[in-house]
Amino acid sequence: MSVKVRFFARFRELLGTDIITEPQAGTTLSALVLGIAQKNKEGRDAIFDEQGSFREFVILMRNGKRVETSDAGKTAVADGDEIAVFPPVAGG
Amino acid sequence: MLSERELERYKRQILLFGEEGQERLKKSHIFIAGAGGLGSPISLYLAVAGVGTITIVDMDVVDQSNLNRQILHYDRDVAKKKTVSALEKLQAINPDITINAIDATISADNVSKLVGRADGIVDAMDNYPVRYQLNRVALEKKIPFFHGAIRGFYGQATTILPGKTPCLECIFPKAPPKEVFPVVGATPGVIGTVQATEVIKYLTGQGSLLDGRLFIWDGLTSTSEEIAVCRNPSCPACGDPAAAHTKPGKKK
Repeated sequence: MSVKVRFFARFRELLGTDIITEPQAGTTLSALVLGIAQKNKEGRDAIFDEQGSFREFVILMRNGKRVETSDAGKTAVADGDEIAVFPPVAGG
Repeated sequence: MLSERELERYKRQILLFGEEGQERLKKSHIFIAGAGGLGSPISLYLAVAGVGTITIVDMDVVDQSNLNRQILHYDRDVAKKKTVSALEKLQAINPDITINAIDATISADNVSKLVGRADGIVDAMDNYPVRYQLNRVALEKKIPFFHGAIRGFYGQATTILPGKTPCLECIFPKAPPKEVFPVVGATPGVIGTVQATEVIKYLTGQGSLLDGRLFIWDGLTSTSEEIAVCRNPSCPACGDPAAAHTKPGKKK
C-alpha cells in the first residue's frame, strides 16, 4: 500500500515533504511518522519526545481529519491515506 | 452618512461593496491585539479602509530588531512606546477615524474590559497564552476572532465565528514551546493582510470567510494550502452546545 506524508513549516524544513511510503499492513500512524522522522535527529526531536510519543502541540491529520496524537499509536494507516503533520506557528 | 470627502477617499472600494458597505465599516469597532509584525499591516489596512474605530493594544517599546517587519514603526521611533508610534502613524494615514492606542499587557484580568464592545478581535499576538484569552473573550462576547500567526516564511490564518466554527483551542489545544522566532517582514505582511481582508469581508458581508478552514502559507515555496478544521465537542473553551451563533456580515 501507498501512504503520503506531508510535513509543514519547521517540520518540512527538517524532513522534507510529500513523502510517499509503502508501509506494511497494520502500521500505525505513530510508527509511520516516527520511521520517517528518524532520518533526521532534529526532525525527530521536533515532533517526538524521548519516549517516541508525539509532542503535545503537534497537529496530525489523516485525509483532512484531525487524529488525536494520543490515538496515533492505535490507528493503522490504509492504502491511499494522506497524512499531514504540522506545528502551530506562534509568532506575530 | 458619508461625507463628500469620505465618498472620494473610499471611491475605489465603494465600487466593491457600495456606500452601505462603507457605512458599515465606518460604524464598526475593531480590536487589534498587538502592534508588532502582524498588527502593523492589519492596523494600516483597516485604517485606510475606513474602519471607524480601531483599538490597538501593546505593552512594548520599539526595539531596533523590530524594524525588519513592524512597518508601523520607523527608525526614529526606537525606544518609543509602540502605542505612541502606532497612534501617530494611524492618525496620519487616516485622520477621519478614531484610534484608541492602549499601552497595556493583555491578561485574564483586563482582556474583557479592553475588548469592550468591539465588533471583532484581531489576533496579532506572538504567543498562545494570550491568544487563548482572546479566544475565550471572543466566545463569551460572541464576536468573531481573526487568528493569524507566523514563523520564518510560514504563516497560518483562520476566522473563528463563535458557535459556528471551531475555536482556537479546538484547532490548537496545546501551545508550541516559546522561542525567539525567525521572521522576514514580508511573512506577517502576507498573513496580516489576509486577516485584514477577513475583517473587511466580515464587516461588509462579502465573499466567504476562512471559517472552519485553516489557511497555511509557505513563502519558501510560494504555496498555500487549506485544511478543514472541526469543532472539538469536548473543547474546554467552546464545548458548550448552547453557544450562540454569529452570522458573518450581520451587525447589530
